[in-house]
Amino acid sequence: MPMYFQDLLLTLQNHWAKLGCIVTQGYDLEVGAGTMAPATFLRALGPEPWNVAYIQPSRRPADGRFGDNPNRLFQHHQFQVILKPAPKNVQELYLDSIKAFGIDPLEHDIRFVEDDWESPTLGASGLGWEVWCDGMEITQFTYFQKCGGYECKPVAAELTYGLERIAMYLQGVDSLYDIEWVKGVKYGEVFHQNEVEMSEYALRHSDAVQLEMLFRSYETECKRLIDLGLPLPAYDYALKCSHAFNLLDARGAISVTDRAGYIKRVRDNAALCAKGYLKMRQKLDWPLCKTAWTVGQQLPVFEGKPASDAWKTISFEDKEKKEAPRG
Amino acid sequence: MAELLFELGTEELPARFVVPALDDLEKTFTEQCAALNVKHGAIRRFGTPRRLALLVSGIAEKTDDVMKEVQGPSVKAAFEADGKTPKIPGIKFAESVKLPIDQLKRVTTPKGEYLVATVEEKGRRSFELLSDVLNLCTRKINFAKQMRWGDVEQSFGRPLQWIVALLGTEVVPVTFSDVKSGRVTRGHRFLSSASLTIDKPADYEALLEKANVIPDITKRRKVITERVAAAAQKAGGTVLHDDALIDQVVNLVELPCPVVGTFEERHLDLPAEVLIQEMKSHQRYFTLVDGQGRVLPKFIAVSNTPVKDEKLSIKGYERVLRARLTDGRFFFDEDRKKPLIDTVEKLHRRSWIDKLGTMAEKTDRIRALGVFLANAVGQAAVVSTVERAATLCKADLNSAMVGEFPELQGVMGREYALHDKEPKEVALAIFEHYLPRGAGDGLPTQDAGAIIGLADRLDSLCGLFGIGKKPTGAKDDFALRRAAITFIRIATARSYRFSLGSAIDESISLLGEKLADAKRKPTDPTVKEQVLEFFRGRLESTWKETHRADVVEAVICAGFDDLLAAQLRLEAISAYVSRPDFSALAATFKRVANIVEKQAKDVTRAPVDVSKLTDEPEKVLNVELAKVSAAFVTAVKADDYAGAMAKVVPLRPFVDAFFDKVMVMADDKALRENRVRLLMEIGALFGTVADFSKIQAES
Repeated sequence: MPMYFQDLLLTLQNHWAKLGCIVTQGYDLEVGAGTMAPATFLRALGPEPWNVAYIQPSRRPADGRFGDNPNRLFQHHQFQVILKPAPKNVQELYLDSIKAFGIDPLEHDIRFVEDDWESPTLGASGLGWEVWCDGMEITQFTYFQKCGGYECKPVAAELTYGLERIAMYLQGVDSLYDIEWVKGVKYGEVFHQNEVEMSEYALRHSDAVQLEMLFRSYETECKRLIDLGLPLPAYDYALKCSHAFNLLDARGAISVTDRAGYIKRVRDNAALCAKGYLKMRQKLDWPLCKTAWTVGQQLPVFEGKPASDAWKTISFEDKEKKEAPRG
Repeated sequence: MAELLFELGTEELPARFVVPALDDLEKTFTEQCAALNVKHGAIRRFGTPRRLALLVSGIAEKTDDVMKEVQGPSVKAAFEADGKTPKIPGIKFAESVKLPIDQLKRVTTPKGEYLVATVEEKGRRSFELLSDVLNLCTRKINFAKQMRWGDVEQSFGRPLQWIVALLGTEVVPVTFSDVKSGRVTRGHRFLSSASLTIDKPADYEALLEKANVIPDITKRRKVITERVAAAAQKAGGTVLHDDALIDQVVNLVELPCPVVGTFEERHLDLPAEVLIQEMKSHQRYFTLVDGQGRVLPKFIAVSNTPVKDEKLSIKGYERVLRARLTDGRFFFDEDRKKPLIDTVEKLHRRSWIDKLGTMAEKTDRIRALGVFLANAVGQAAVVSTVERAATLCKADLNSAMVGEFPELQGVMGREYALHDKEPKEVALAIFEHYLPRGAGDGLPTQDAGAIIGLADRLDSLCGLFGIGKKPTGAKDDFALRRAAITFIRIATARSYRFSLGSAIDESISLLGEKLADAKRKPTDPTVKEQVLEFFRGRLESTWKETHRADVVEAVICAGFDDLLAAQLRLEAISAYVSRPDFSALAATFKRVANIVEKQAKDVTRAPVDVSKLTDEPEKVLNVELAKVSAAFVTAVKADDYAGAMAKVVPLRPFVDAFFDKVMVMADDKALRENRVRLLMEIGALFGTVADFSKIQAES
C-alpha cells in the first residue's frame, strides 16, 4: 500500500502519541522552523518535562522559487518532536518511528552523521546529527544545549523530520510537487499556486519600507509586553519581528553590514522572552515538574540523579545569573 | 599479569573525534599508570563511531613494594635536651613508622637535624588503582566540542551509553554520568543483538567482529581501501585517491560495505572539481576515474549496513546525488550567464575583514602590489597578465558555486574566465594564486599566479598586523603563519630577488588609512617591524627543521631582506658545517666578530692605516686580507656563497697568528684602534654572509 503524504503525517503523529507525547498543532504564526514555535523554543527552557509532537508549516522567504524548483519551497512542513529530558533510548525511539513509516534499517543505510546546529536569531544551539537514509538527510536530530542564551537543563532532544523529502523518497518521485497527498491529489495541486504567489510577494513585491516599519513596531511591542510581564504575547511579536527580517532579507533589502545588527535585535527579543518565560514559570512553581511525565520505554538508569532542584530557586532577574543554572 | 579492556560506548561520535579521543585516552592511561607505578605491556586501540577502547596487555597484579624515606620531627622536638630521652613527637613518629625510636636515622638539613625512617611501602593491587586511572581517563578526553544530554551533569563528545572495564575477568568499577562499568558491550546497531557479554579482554575483537563490527581502525581502513578498490575495478575504473576522505569514512562506519552507483553522463561536462566536490563534501562518495584520470559517471558510497537488497539503497544514493548535480548544474549555468568581469563590482558589497574594508578594496591592493612585485622581481613582461588576473582573482566569490563549495574558489574563477575567453594565462593565474591550498598541492607553475599569490598574502599579513590581529600562541585565526611560510616558499622556489622590506613598505602604504586608527603606543614596534619579525620567526622555525640552529641564527642575523640570498647563504654555511676544520674556522671568526661587536661603540670604522701596522703578523694579515677581499665580494655578488666561503677560509691561519702574536688591546690608542679596524674589515667581509658570533664553536 502506498504511503501517501497524509499517511506519513498520521503515522508519525500516532507513533509519538502512543509513546506519551502530546500532539499539538503547529503554531499559527509565520515561523521559519519548528524550533521557533513556542512549543519548542520556550518549552525547552527550564526544568519542566515536555514531550510534544506537531507538524509545523515553516516559511523561508529566501527559499521561494516560484514553484519551479523540484526540491525547494517557500513553505515546507516539518514534523517536530521535543523530548525533554531526552530519554536515554531516544535514538532507538527515533529509529522505531522511521520503521513505522516504512524505512527499515536492514533495507537502507541509516546513519547518524555529525551536524551541529546554531541559530543566531534565537541565541540557540545544539549538537547532534543529520540522520541519513542512503545518503539523504531525512531528519535533524539535536540535543539542545542553549536556548535564548540560557543553558538548557535538562537537555531536550529535538527531532525535525523533513516531511516533503521523506515523502518524495517513500513515493519515489523526483519533484515534491508530484507527492501524492491522498489518493488522486498531488502536493502541487494543493500548494503550487501558494508557492507562486508567496514567491512573487517575497522576492518581487514586498514593500521594504513598510516591512522595516513593521519590524520596528513589532520590536517595540515585544519589549512593551515584556515590561508588562507578558512573555507569551511578547514572543508572538518576537516571531513577527523575525519573519519581517526574513522578508526583508529575501528582498535583498538588508546590506551585509546591517544584517548583523538585525540579527542581534531579533536575538535580543528572543532572549528577553526566554527570560520572561522562565520568570513566569518559576512564579507558577514549575507546574509540569509535579507530573510524572515520561516518554517511551526508559532503559534502566544506574545512578542517574533527577534534574537538580536548583532550578526552583534560581532568579532570572539579572543578566549575570544567566550562567547560574549550570551549578 | 592480566589483560585490561576499557571500552566507552557512545551514541555516534563525529568521525573527526575518534582518533584524537583515543590519543587522549592512551596518553592519560600511560601517564597515570607511570605515576602510580602500575606496570603494563602493549596498548592496542580500537575505535568506531560508537566506541573508544583500549586493550592493554600484561598489567602487573600489584605495584612493586618500595623503600621510602619518611621525614619525622626535628631531633630537638623529638628528644629532651640530652638528645636521648624521647618526647611525645618522637614517640608518635616512631609508632607511626613502626620502628623502635633508637633505630631511627638522623639527617642534617639546612633547617637542622631531623629524624628519618626508612619504611617499606607495600605495593597496591592494580585492580584498585585502575579504577581511579580509568575514571580519570574518561574525564580527560578533550573533545573538540562537548555536550550535555538528558538530565546528567557531565559532558562528553556524544551521550555515553555504556562502559566496559575488565581486568582479567573482573569488572573494574568506573562511573561516568549515569553509566556504571560492566562487561556488556553492543554490536552493530542493526545487525546484532543489543547486548554482548564479554568474559575476558582477549575475546573483545573477535566478539565484535562476530557482531558485525570491525573495531580496529587500521583493519577497517584496510578493508575499506581493498573493498572500494575491488568495487571500482568491477565497475571498470579506479578510485580517485583521497586519504582525507578515507580517514573520514573509516570513522563513519562500523562495518564498511561499498556499493557502486551511477549518475547521468550529461553531468560529465561539469568541471571535474565540481563533480568530485559534489560527491565528496556532502555525500562522502568516492569518485571513479578511467585510465586517463577522467571522471567516470560512477561513484562508490560506503554503507554501514549490508542491506537486504543493494539495488534499493543504491537508488537512494543516486537520487541524492542527482538532486545535488542538478543543483550544481543550475549554479554553473547561472554563474556563466554573466561574464566574471561584470561581477567584480559586487565585491564592493562583500566585506573582507571589518576594518580592512571590502573584497573590492583588497582586490585593488592585490593588483597594485602585484604590479609592484612583478617589476621588483624583474618580471615586467607579466605585468598586464598580473593586472587582469588580479582584477578577476576574487570575482568567483560572488558565484553561486563558490557559495555552495567554498573550496572551489580559484577553480571556478579559472573555469569562468576560460568560458569568458579570457587569456589562458589569466585564467591559470586566477587559479594558481591560491596555491598551495594544502599539503597535497604544488606551487604556482607560472609567474603571474605566483606574484598575485605573494601580493595577496603580504596584503593579509600587513593588514592584519596593522589592525593588531596578529597570531598569538596557538591562535592564528587568519592562518597568517601559513601565509608567511607560503610566501617564503614561493619567493625562493621561483628564485625571486627583491627587497622584502620595500615590499612590506609598499603593502603598508597601499593599506594607507585602513591602518591609521589602529591603536599603537609610540613605544610599540611599527607594523613593518612586526611583520619583519614575524617573517624572521617563520624562517627560523622552518629552517631549523633541517639545519643547525646556530647556523640558522647566524645567517638570519646577517639579514634576510633578500630571501633567496639568505637561503643560499644558509645552504653554503651548512655545507661547511660538516667539514673537519669548520669548528676552528668558526671559532676564529667568532672571536673576530665578538671583538668587533665589543669595540663598535668606541672605534669608528675607517680604513686601516698601513703605516701604523707595526708587527709582522698584522702586516701579513692586512696583505692577505687585501688578496681575498675583492674575490670574496665578487663571489657574494654572484650568489656564490660557497665560493665566498672558500675565499675566506685560507685567511684563518693569518687571523690566528694575529691573535697569537699581536696585542689588539694595545695601550697606544692609535695602534689599538688601527688593529680593531683591521678586524672590522674582516668582520664586515664575512658579516654579509653570516654573523659568526652566533655560531656554537669551541674556542
